[in-house]
Amino acid sequence: MSLTSPLFFAFLATVVVAYHASESVAYRRFVLGAANAVFIASYLNDVTQVLPLIAFLALGYVCVSALYLRQSGLLLASGVVAILCCYIFLKRFSFFEGLGQLPFPYLTVGLSYILFRILHIMIDVRSGDMTERIGPLAFFRFTCNFLCFVSGPIQRYQDFSAMDGRAVVQLDASVVYAAFSRIATGYVKFVIVAATADYAFTFLSPHLLQPSGLTFLKLCAVYATVASLYTVYLYFNFSGYMDIVIGIGILLGQTLPENFDRPFSARSFLEFWQRWHMTLSQWFKFYLFNPLLMFLMTWLPSPALTSYLGVLAFFITFGVMGVWHGTTAVFVIYGLLMGAGASINKLWQVACTERLGKKRYRALTESTTYVYLARGLTVGYFVLALTCLWVPELPQFTHLLARLGVAGVLVTFVVVAAAFAMAALSLDLIQNRIRIPVSLSAIQNGEITKNLHLAGKMMAIVAVATLLHKAPDFVYKAF
Amino acid sequence: MKYILRQTALTLVSFAFLYVLLAAASFVVFPDPSSAGPRDFQAAEQTLYMTVPKYVVLGRSVLDNPDRKVILVGASNTGVGFRQKLVQSNLGCAQVSNLAMGGANISEVRQVINLVHEVQGDQKRGLNTFVIGLWFGMFIDSEVKYSEGDRHRGETDIDIERYRYGFYHRTPDGPVAVLPAKWLDAGVMAIRPFLLLEKAARQARAGVNLVLTGRRTAQRTDDERESVVMSDAEKKKALQYWKETMGRANDISPAQVEVLRQTIHALLDSGEKVVLVNLPIPAWHRDASPYQPSYLRALTDLLQEFGEQPNFSSLTMDDLDNDLDYSDEVHAKRHLADIWSTRLASKLDSFVCLETPEKSAPKITTLRSSEQVTTVAPGNN
Repeated sequence: MSLTSPLFFAFLATVVVAYHASESVAYRRFVLGAANAVFIASYLNDVTQVLPLIAFLALGYVCVSALYLRQSGLLLASGVVAILCCYIFLKRFSFFEGLGQLPFPYLTVGLSYILFRILHIMIDVRSGDMTERIGPLAFFRFTCNFLCFVSGPIQRYQDFSAMDGRAVVQLDASVVYAAFSRIATGYVKFVIVAATADYAFTFLSPHLLQPSGLTFLKLCAVYATVASLYTVYLYFNFSGYMDIVIGIGILLGQTLPENFDRPFSARSFLEFWQRWHMTLSQWFKFYLFNPLLMFLMTWLPSPALTSYLGVLAFFITFGVMGVWHGTTAVFVIYGLLMGAGASINKLWQVACTERLGKKRYRALTESTTYVYLARGLTVGYFVLALTCLWVPELPQFTHLLARLGVAGVLVTFVVVAAAFAMAALSLDLIQNRIRIPVSLSAIQNGEITKNLHLAGKMMAIVAVATLLHKAPDFVYKAF
Repeated sequence: MKYILRQTALTLVSFAFLYVLLAAASFVVFPDPSSAGPRDFQAAEQTLYMTVPKYVVLGRSVLDNPDRKVILVGASNTGVGFRQKLVQSNLGCAQVSNLAMGGANISEVRQVINLVHEVQGDQKRGLNTFVIGLWFGMFIDSEVKYSEGDRHRGETDIDIERYRYGFYHRTPDGPVAVLPAKWLDAGVMAIRPFLLLEKAARQARAGVNLVLTGRRTAQRTDDERESVVMSDAEKKKALQYWKETMGRANDISPAQVEVLRQTIHALLDSGEKVVLVNLPIPAWHRDASPYQPSYLRALTDLLQEFGEQPNFSSLTMDDLDNDLDYSDEVHAKRHLADIWSTRLASKLDSFVCLETPEKSAPKITTLRSSEQVTTVAPGNN
């Protein structure tokens, strides 16, 4: 079910009305469960397509149930291996083609996020963080919550359970307006900004991937533009999607976790990942980085090595996170690039702290030049690393790299970093100088103005959607 | 729940207010032209519709009238080469409309004919004369021709406009009308606010172009086209372009030839007149292109097949092949277009005006968007 289809709006209206028809928790749970089933069914052409998903969920539930009975490390390890094997098989990773595949088409949308949810429950049950027994229906409502099914945000079960069928958000006029406004903003990002960036990206990117007579500087300029456009597309597509589901969540009395916090204001690569796809990075922090670092520190318990073990743990964590994004060899490169970015950032922090001391290093990081330089370098690196997502096939990827050469990549990196740093500095300066008069602010917050603003967004969304004529798709659905 | 319903109502009322405001503005800025009679669809840019495909899809109901009509269809060289006003001024017995579309292949030409038929009653079809402008560049399979990333593969510009506002529904067998043809004008009225916003967006883009490049669009003006002389490098590039675009090594698509053959058959069967025009291209291009021979063979076959039929005629202008009369490898300059237009008008004057439409009961033929043609006997549907 596409977010922009009339079917989705009809579905949404039905779910919201049905949910609020009664305050009974059991009834609301039934409505949410049914909504999840209908949402998943909308992706199917044939009932057999859902069987692998059901099998995957059943395996997960069996593993979780077994761990409730016996909180054994061995059982957890076996369960994790079984779930991962099943996931890799169903996702058809190109590295494991020898495993074969099911002889019929089936649904893979949502599998990645269901994996995270199942692993989180298993690990928390094993560690004793979760003592509440999960029934099969609650398990289904959590793992297949239609709001988070396609691409998160990744909730913890403990948070989900607190609002499962209970309206934790008390609705009043301002909360409901905020929810409507958030949904409309999400669509503006998704349908207008992201789709326009995608339109320009689709127009320009063939110039890079096909043979053409571009000079070196033109090639670098086109690459910088295309890579930046893809980043704009990815961010507004994904964060717009999140705004939409979080806004809908409020109307259903749920508070879903935020997934983005102004990522382009990050002053370092590590900070960037605290602001970008936050629930994913938190999941990796809790369930991979922390245990891995603990293990490494136990294995090599020298205090002098702690920082370097942290670097290694960062490299492995970001590497795995990168590989999770896709099923081809280029995604391994993406993982390595993310791991390298995080590791270099950590090493820089360690080196600066050792050389300058904590106080002087902190002072350095607060200086204007450093801030905008760091922001530019962070975004420049991320923008270029994302190339792996839009050139996912290895021959094309290597062809592009060969055309650019080391010099081309470096020039593009500097151009993107400098352009972003300058743009960020200019925007911040303008923002700091703009002061909205109190009288204008009062008009802005008036009921009529607010609603006309909302309606204006809707009008613009419909107009741009018809202008661009090809409905935008949600990019992270593929990951 | 009451807060959600209240907010929904407020949002809808605000939306309706803006909608009515924009609809009213669209009538002030772009008043509707007369509801019947000929229209120069090539002048789409000056209208609310902006592009020829959109103008044809949304503005075609003017072709539903009891007058005799000459309807020009083809690609951009038909659009540029036959000036509607000039042809009309030399042809008193029929209303002339030029529905030619930039980049059209034969399948898209057939779609345009289908669109015209949709808004006309079966009885009025006998009043149509379709002038089909042809050259080899129109015989490209849709899957090859329409394969850009921003569209579904194989979908023509007409398809895009059909789906854009939900007037048609996409199915595996092609577009299916959601809005009955008789409601087309009402549907267009309903989307005027969005047409106005789209128009504003395009005008804004033209403004940005003007600031950045000093021009509103990349397209050349008539005056600029008049003075163009193609260099050897440009000719080589043009040949290479068509080699890449045709999707075949050295012949035109037989499937497109078959679509044209079926189209002519169907038109003649339903009592309509057809004029095939073999559009000239500059001599250098005609002689250098590997596609011209197969195109001429196909055209000869078609003329042999249909040449004897009373409602069929053809026009060729082989003598108008002077390289300097063309602004590029295909398009006639303005002064040549005047000659093309006069010759066509002369041909039509004898073919359309001096004869009465065939009165025999026509078979009513439905042209489908797929490659099949269905013939239905009158009274059976």
